Amino acid sequence: MSSSLPIIPTSMEDNFPKLPDAQQVSVGRGTRSNPVAPHYASLISNTSFAGPLSSSSPSFSSDVHHSSFSSHERNFIARSTEVMWCADPIQDILEYSNNVTKGNYQEQSSSVMLPDDITRQDEWWTDMMNEDWKELLNDTTASESQAKAVYKEVQTSADIPVKQPQIHQSIPSQSGEVCAAPSSSSAVSAAAKPRMRWTPELHESFVEAVNQLGGSEKATPKGILKLMKVEGLTIYQVKSHLQKYRTTRHKPDSLEGSLKKATSADEIPSLNLKTSFDLTEALQLQMEVQKQLHEQLEIQRNLQLRIEEQGRYLQLMFEKQSKLQVPSTSDPSTVPSDLTYSAAKVDLPGSSQAGTEVSADAKVIDGSSNKQQMTESCNPVDNKANIVAGSHSSQCKGGA
Amino acid sequence: MKFGKRLKKHIEETLPEWRDKFLSYKDLKKLVRLISSGQPSSVVEAAFIQLLDAEIDKFNAFFVEQEEEFIIRQKELQERIKRVMESQPSEAEYAKEMSKISKDIVNFHGEMVLLENYSSINYTGLAKILKKYDKQTGRLLRLPFIEKVLEQPFFTTEIISKLVKECESTIDLLFPASDQKSQQGEKKALVAMEQTIFRSTVAALMTMQELRKGSSTYGQFSLPPLSLPDMDLLQSFHLPSPIPIL
Repeated sequence: MSSSLPIIPTSMEDNFPKLPDAQQVSVGRGTRSNPVAPHYASLISNTSFAGPLSSSSPSFSSDVHHSSFSSHERNFIARSTEVMWCADPIQDILEYSNNVTKGNYQEQSSSVMLPDDITRQDEWWTDMMNEDWKELLNDTTASESQAKAVYKEVQTSADIPVKQPQIHQSIPSQSGEVCAAPSSSSAVSAAAKPRMRWTPELHESFVEAVNQLGGSEKATPKGILKLMKVEGLTIYQVKSHLQKYRTTRHKPDSLEGSLKKATSADEIPSLNLKTSFDLTEALQLQMEVQKQLHEQLEIQRNLQLRIEEQGRYLQLMFEKQSKLQVPSTSDPSTVPSDLTYSAAKVDLPGSSQAGTEVSADAKVIDGSSNKQQMTESCNPVDNKANIVAGSHSSQCKGGA
Repeated sequence: MKFGKRLKKHIEETLPEWRDKFLSYKDLKKLVRLISSGQPSSVVEAAFIQLLDAEIDKFNAFFVEQEEEFIIRQKELQERIKRVMESQPSEAEYAKEMSKISKDIVNFHGEMVLLENYSSINYTGLAKILKKYDKQTGRLLRLPFIEKVLEQPFFTTEIISKLVKECESTIDLLFPASDQKSQQGEKKALVAMEQTIFRSTVAALMTMQELRKGSSTYGQFSLPPLSLPDMDLLQSFHLPSPIPIL
């Protein structure tokens, strides 16, 4: 058993000489992974924890059969990257969590694997692997050591969340009426369907074009597209919009109508000439409640926007403060070329994010005392008495 | 009540077709717990972010599609009203058509508001789970991530808001004297209650109030408590859902 151990680490290194580099390219571009799940797959492949192996992955098992143990394990690791996304990786990880909790796992694990961990790792492996793979290994201890080695590899690999800025870029942000998927990864995942956002004005010109062409039945997507003369609008988008348009016209507003035909039949006879011009009481009430909900939602949304804005502003202040006060010892990577990402780049959980509680388990890298001071004065535990978010800024400014 | 439970309850009370479009809060929470258990956290963290991105895609897709439909329906309603007006109907005909149209407008309004609520609840869930994540990992994912969320289609509800307001002014225009309340109010209220949209709306208001009641994690990023007029009236409407969830 121990003789195989030396082999494994070196083969690991052979496989992943560019592990750090790979991580840097991971998020934005799906490497060998399925376009549908680029980020996750590439991240998983880099850690090669051979995480959620699908037991129903046929290509994987056939490959496994052809190799001897050490090269086979190499194949396994290589294959696992392609296979990884086949299953629903998130589902598997959640299953794994169930397995782990079944095993009453409660300890914080460190980079040293405890015997308990190995047993549970083994459990997890046996749950995840398919039968062929198990047979080939032929030896649960072999799988244990492999799991252990892979686990160690993961421990030593660079921190993935440091790459958060790239991940964030992958969230498409829409502006304007017609957008192709802006980031590379979403471009891959969106495939032939860049998401478009219709507006009332666009629809207006759509309807005009349709009417000019003789109605929704006669008009063709191509004709409509030509008449509309909107840049960037694809025929596919016009087509799907036309479809929606046709369906809506043939089935006008019948969500409640189809469900409650009985009710409306009851209501109409009770109308007299006077109230017929007004809404029925039921509708009035419904409208009232809906209006209230809408109003509250608007208020809430504006509040949320302001809260986040304040959070950003405070963070900006922190950064400026720290640069002014401690220019020599401040972390050079805090140069806020892009403010929003600097928080992610610098691993300073408590001090640079306004409002986070200074928790005991925060990993503080830069122990600058000035920052500590600022944080403590702005500790939200103190602010719990203040219910209105708007008062926070005045509190903090007082503490500076 | 914790958010996860509240969310689940709200989903049960909302429009059936929307039920699987909401945030998978439970799954995200499981991942966060996994992280803290100390397993290879980089993998789990990656899965977490992956799921977050997928959820946001889900919201955007659903929201934009609904928005498109609402835009179409809005125009159709306007056309319908125009047609009725232009046909110069008799009083009886007018009354008949208007009662149908009014019902449709009110329901249309309701659906749009529920979409706004959908956006809001998912945003709240995201903010909460990101906060948990930051707490467990000591990382700073929340702030930059939330900023991106604020720009997402599903959160930029300006168009829907505009449509809602247009609906309200249309209603006011067509049915000017709609302020009277009478003894019959309660009976009519029961009739209204049977309608799914109305029930969902009431549920949404109750949910909002509950969520903002204040909790152990109240911080400066939390919203102030909600105070609604007619809260007692609303609460009397808040009946349990008769639709069994399988």
